[in-house]
Amino acid sequence: MSLLRSIAGGLRWLFRKDQVSRELNEELNGFLEMAAEEKMKQGMSRNDALRAVRLERGSREVSKEAVRSAGWESFVETCWQDLRFAARMLRKSPGFTAVTVITLALGIGANTAVFTVVNGVLLRPMPFPQADRLFLVSLTPRGGPFEWQPGVSDRDYLAFRDQDQVFANIASFTRGTTANLTGVGDPVQIPVAYVTAEFFATLRTNPEIGRSFLTGEDEPGNDNFVVLSNELWRGRFGSDPEILGKTIRLDGVSRTVIGVMPPGFAFPGAAVWMPLTIPIDQHNSFTRPVVGRLKTGFSPQQAQAELETFAERLPLGPGESKRDRMAQIIPLKDLLVANIRPSLLVFAGAVAFVLLIACANVANLFLAQSTGRSREMAMRRTLGANRLRLVRQLLTESTLVSLAGGAAGILLAFWSVPVLTALAPAGNVPRMEMIRIDGWVLAFTFGLSVFTGILFGLAPTFQATRPDARESLNQAGRGMTVGHEGIRSALTICEIAVALTLLTGAGLTLKSFLRLRAVNPGFSPHSVMTMTVDLPDSAYRTALQMQAFHTQTLAELSRLPGVLVAGAVDWVPLGGELAKGTFQVEGGQRPRGFMVDKPCVSPVYFRAMGIQLVHGREFTERDSATAPGVVIVSQSVARTLWPGEDPLGKRISMEDEPKPEDWLTVVGVVDDVKQQGLAKNSDAAIYQPYLQVSSPFFLGHMTFVVRTALRPESVAAGMRGILRNVDKNQPIAIASMDSLIAAATAESRFQTRLLTTFALIALALTIVGTYGVLAYSVAQRTQEIGVRMALGARSADVLRMLLKKALVLISVGIVLGGVGAFTLTRVLTRFLFEVKPSDLPTLAAVALTLALAILAACYVPARRAMCVDPMAALRHE
Amino acid sequence: MADKPSDLVQGTLDMLILKTLALEPMHGYGIAVRLEQMSKGVFRLNAGSLFVAFQRLQRDGLISSEWKATENSRRAKYYALTEQGRKRLNSETREWERQVAAIARILEAS
Repeated sequence: MSLLRSIAGGLRWLFRKDQVSRELNEELNGFLEMAAEEKMKQGMSRNDALRAVRLERGSREVSKEAVRSAGWESFVETCWQDLRFAARMLRKSPGFTAVTVITLALGIGANTAVFTVVNGVLLRPMPFPQADRLFLVSLTPRGGPFEWQPGVSDRDYLAFRDQDQVFANIASFTRGTTANLTGVGDPVQIPVAYVTAEFFATLRTNPEIGRSFLTGEDEPGNDNFVVLSNELWRGRFGSDPEILGKTIRLDGVSRTVIGVMPPGFAFPGAAVWMPLTIPIDQHNSFTRPVVGRLKTGFSPQQAQAELETFAERLPLGPGESKRDRMAQIIPLKDLLVANIRPSLLVFAGAVAFVLLIACANVANLFLAQSTGRSREMAMRRTLGANRLRLVRQLLTESTLVSLAGGAAGILLAFWSVPVLTALAPAGNVPRMEMIRIDGWVLAFTFGLSVFTGILFGLAPTFQATRPDARESLNQAGRGMTVGHEGIRSALTICEIAVALTLLTGAGLTLKSFLRLRAVNPGFSPHSVMTMTVDLPDSAYRTALQMQAFHTQTLAELSRLPGVLVAGAVDWVPLGGELAKGTFQVEGGQRPRGFMVDKPCVSPVYFRAMGIQLVHGREFTERDSATAPGVVIVSQSVARTLWPGEDPLGKRISMEDEPKPEDWLTVVGVVDDVKQQGLAKNSDAAIYQPYLQVSSPFFLGHMTFVVRTALRPESVAAGMRGILRNVDKNQPIAIASMDSLIAAATAESRFQTRLLTTFALIALALTIVGTYGVLAYSVAQRTQEIGVRMALGARSADVLRMLLKKALVLISVGIVLGGVGAFTLTRVLTRFLFEVKPSDLPTLAAVALTLALAILAACYVPARRAMCVDPMAALRHE
Repeated sequence: MADKPSDLVQGTLDMLILKTLALEPMHGYGIAVRLEQMSKGVFRLNAGSLFVAFQRLQRDGLISSEWKATENSRRAKYYALTEQGRKRLNSETREWERQVAAIARILEAS
């Protein structure tokens, strides 16, 4: 109540200032008059009486000031005054204002852009009701290739679901699978997810049209249903209002559409959802992500405890240990963003450094400007302003500048966020659709601007308000640079140090990127075109049918003009797939934990791919289903299994308990190939001819690779035609091997580009900053230099004097920056390939570049100092 | 108390103004004079602190004001106690008495 009245009173003050002030005036006048009349009654003259009253009761103006400053509105009032004054000051020096605002806009804009991405990808909640109650349940082995893919094996999932007490709903789903959609337009490969019936209930998101899966619809034989994403429904089915009940063909299987999801729903990155039937199989068990919604009142810690107890009680299978089930309760968002988080945080750190440098620059400019204003400050203090009041005024000025910089920064961000997302490696940044400039981003930028304004405003402020008032007034107003020199040098040193740290980080990623690009993948990717097919088991029921498809396609491809050799492999290197398995060695023991890739290839695959045959022979057409089984091993397999022996003629088997006819003879040895990624180790592999493989698992997915005489793109149209000819229902996925290599280095390239951009901005700011400091110091010391020259100093001496100062700043900055770089670049370790964070050559090269660049910038003002005319400088005195 | 007019105990000025207004509405100078008379010259108030107190009390809704003519036919702002102000005066007086009694007991005891 009284707060409201106080606000109302204050507002009356602010908006009806004249009337309020007139009333107060009249009231005070009356008060003083009445007091004076009292005195006059005792015989004083009017003048004496008025003077006596003033002494006794205080003068009118002082009283008025007391009343005015008692309410909260006076604070607003002075702020407003400061603001108007600040705006006037800034308008008076447009050059200064422009430089500071642009510098800050760069710093704040870059931070806003990166924060927009961080906010969208990492911070914004998943688009589900009460998404913070959703957690992944994970029981995966510690270490090993699947460590970072949270999931639960089917067997454990069913057992956990039966006894669970803390989750309201729990669901399992697949991610990363695709299916061929046929019958509507061109065949197309779309991302699909198989989900258990509770999936949509767990996420608390229902189809916009139709319904989700019912219990029992995730059982074999009763699962021919599908839910479409809104985007697919609009894009492929023209928003057909009658879509419910219609059938669509996915991988050749007809499925009835029962629902369409609301727009934007795509979790876990799918265009359609199908029921997941969990096979109950005692031998094999798939591992899939499992999501649960916590019951109200239960915490993730309780869920963790429950899961740990559950994992403890599970019986261990043969060869299993406790380490094989690491119990984890993970926020659902981590499924999508855990991989990208470290990299985004590095960018955020780097861009914060850029802002620090911008701050140092602007602080230096403000310092220079405040030198010119020390007389003004001294005057204000003499007239009764206290130090706090002056600090407030100067901080208002700096904050006004940084807010202007922030506003420009937001404009910059509007432009640079799309550039940033376009540069990001496709498919590597999840939740891209969440990235946009929203209220949180604006709030962040506003907060950052205010913080920045105070940060760079503080040093000049204390400097400007420090000098003793009288001393400053006495001075002639020229040549008072002494006190500022220290702060300015310190700021410059910090700037150089921060820039060096940033440049080192960028240098390291650049070196790592170049190393990565120079990696020999084990094959020769140039002039190779690939075409990938997924044969649905509805149309290709047997291995024979699949093999027939491959044989026909290979034959037609090798006849295609421009094609030198045509081969095929089930999982192409760097294709992002990983399938490892075990095998048996005749008369020997497979080393514990030694698993291999088992690619199944066509006869001339090695030649098409450019994989070196080291020993023995290639596969030929004669290695058919009826011929004796043969394999080709990679060098690391040969080395591991038969060190120092000739591998040719040795026998192995892919079966766990091989029968006599299951033994396969080694006929050749080839180079190791990078299967998973350029930065990963080469994978040991045992190749089989595709005609001798009978499991559809190894045959359904096949990548044809052709070596071309001309540019690989020249055969693309021909390949497309062949595929349409062999099976018109196959979606077309054609890519050159070079582009797959580019995709494999895309993340590293993106990182390098971004860090290098930030580092270059930092470098430019640092050069400009150091130049400014030196140029200013030369301008201030013109007389001194003139005197020195008049007394016989040569211009070389003057140059040496100035460059010595620059060199001192640079050396101290580089030493500090080197220490900073050594400490901070450690966070890059996980991103660096074959480069240590403490890579001395990089640090040295970067330091040298920085030093030379700054020296070059300093040469300009130093040169100007050399040309000082002693007579002119002295006359100036 | 010395011969010099004394500073008021922090926070008591508001209570004294309210007490002065309990009898009748008064203008600023009247309040000052009444306070000085009643305190036999111990308190001498300058215009600044008095008017700051008026503004504060008015914003808290404890007093209201109105322009009226004085006996010397001069225009002056008259302050009057509101209902809320009367309640506050009562409660503050009680609290003050309680404290004074307590302080007195402590001083006498030693």
